[in-house]
Amino acid sequence: MDAAPPRVLVADDEDDIRALVGLAVRRAGCAVVAAVADGTAALAAAREEHPALAVLDVSMPGATGLEVCATLRAEPATAGVRILLLSAGASPDDVARGLAAGADAYLAKPFAVAELVARVRELTAGAAR
Amino acid sequence: MTTAEAPDRADEVLRLRREVARLEAERDRLLGQMQHRDDELEIATRMLQARAQTMTSVIDAVTEQSIIGTDRDGVIRVWNPGAEKLLGLPRADVVRRRTITEFHLPEELEEAGGGLAALVRTAQEQGRDVRDWTYVSPDGEELTVSVAVTPRTDDSGAHAGWNFVGTDMTEVRATERMKDQFVSLISHELRTPLSSILGYLELVLDDPDQPLTEEQRQYLTTVERNAQRLLRLVGDLLFTAQVDAGRFTLQPEDVDLAAVVRAAEDTARVTAATAGVELLVRVPDGGLAVRGDAVRLGQACDNLVSNAVKFTPRGGRVTLTLEQAWRTTDGAVVDEPQPGAAPVARLAVSDTGVGIPAGEQQQLFARFFRASTARRHAVPGVGLGLAITKAITTAHGGTLDVESVENQGTTFTLTLPR
Repeated sequence: MDAAPPRVLVADDEDDIRALVGLAVRRAGCAVVAAVADGTAALAAAREEHPALAVLDVSMPGATGLEVCATLRAEPATAGVRILLLSAGASPDDVARGLAAGADAYLAKPFAVAELVARVRELTAGAAR
Repeated sequence: MTTAEAPDRADEVLRLRREVARLEAERDRLLGQMQHRDDELEIATRMLQARAQTMTSVIDAVTEQSIIGTDRDGVIRVWNPGAEKLLGLPRADVVRRRTITEFHLPEELEEAGGGLAALVRTAQEQGRDVRDWTYVSPDGEELTVSVAVTPRTDDSGAHAGWNFVGTDMTEVRATERMKDQFVSLISHELRTPLSSILGYLELVLDDPDQPLTEEQRQYLTTVERNAQRLLRLVGDLLFTAQVDAGRFTLQPEDVDLAAVVRAAEDTARVTAATAGVELLVRVPDGGLAVRGDAVRLGQACDNLVSNAVKFTPRGGRVTLTLEQAWRTTDGAVVDEPQPGAAPVARLAVSDTGVGIPAGEQQQLFARFFRASTARRHAVPGVGLGLAITKAITTAHGGTLDVESVENQGTTFTLTLPR
């Protein structure tokens, strides 16, 4: 029997970007277990689904990607979720803030789909299936 | 009385009369002198009064700037109508009764070291200081004020106190913050749809299952090129706002400038070839390292090279020359080492393009400035590239110079400390 693909949570308040990220996640050979549009829903989905990776937009209503990231890291049940932050802010300060919040990787928008696919593969490599 | 005594007496009387006459003349002379001095004194007093009146009337005429004079302990001695208007207290309530520090935001003053010393430290060391301080009016309103502090001396030249000349910047700073927020918001709002456009374009262009016709690919590549152009413009606007807001920081590391120059050449190669412009690169074989921000230096080089290509007609040439040089103590850059001269890296980007009229070269680094030759030849751009390149160069402690002759070409020389 084939192993189940790594499970990925996608959170972005922009419908088009969320769909694009979902597409990249599937191209990376992963399954989108939840695609949500705000930070509160992202937290709830992460607690319920225990994904291998959460791809979070930084600027979201409810709770920002940075807040979601910090909360997930603080809770033992979700502390191990890999986190990839996506943001329209691309300055070194933005990246530093993202990494300080506990993210594993940071990708500035606009991103190349090929790069996102590669990052998702890299971050889910060896993930529990 | 004997007969012999009579002439003696007459002589004595005569002498005394003469003496009285001399003394009277002396008295009149002295009186005259006194009158003259008195007149002089009166004129001087009137002049002094007029001068004091002029000073007072000038100070009193300043209604949009606060002029506050204190003694050495910070007790207020001068309080002009501008200060009355700004802080809402009449002169009589303040002069000799309040100190300057009472009108400052306590936390801000504390953070700067506390007390009058914090306000006057730089002015004491350097003779003047201009910076933003927060004044607090009696009703608790906080005002951002640009305050120029200078020491004040008395008529004998001894230190007598301090002058604080303030301009209310509350609205200006609020507008600046709003502009900053606006640019951040707009750039975020523009980058988000651009993310969708570029992302989905990439999917369509690179889909092996559904290959495009050559015509479709050409159209979509044009869309992509223009989306990238829009993205660069958004990036430039955001960067300019960051420079304005003082939020532009460098991530310094050892950077091989030769590699940066080659990368800029790579970036410009296709555009140059399409435009029929030859690109020549001369860099030291062993590279040339500087301390700097690789991304920003790359941006500066890219700007200079892409400008040179844009402004050079078909058949022309753009030459990038990177070499080691030395900056002497008087600021000149020379080819050979000299005692006391500091090593620098010098990048010259020369083109055989349309050139920049001499009268416009001073304005070249101003934001949104476009040379008349750029407009005349319909060269696309908004006039941010050189302003950004200059800001990056200055932040690295370097210089950016231009030499240009209309219809012959332009050379930009970027010099960075090593």
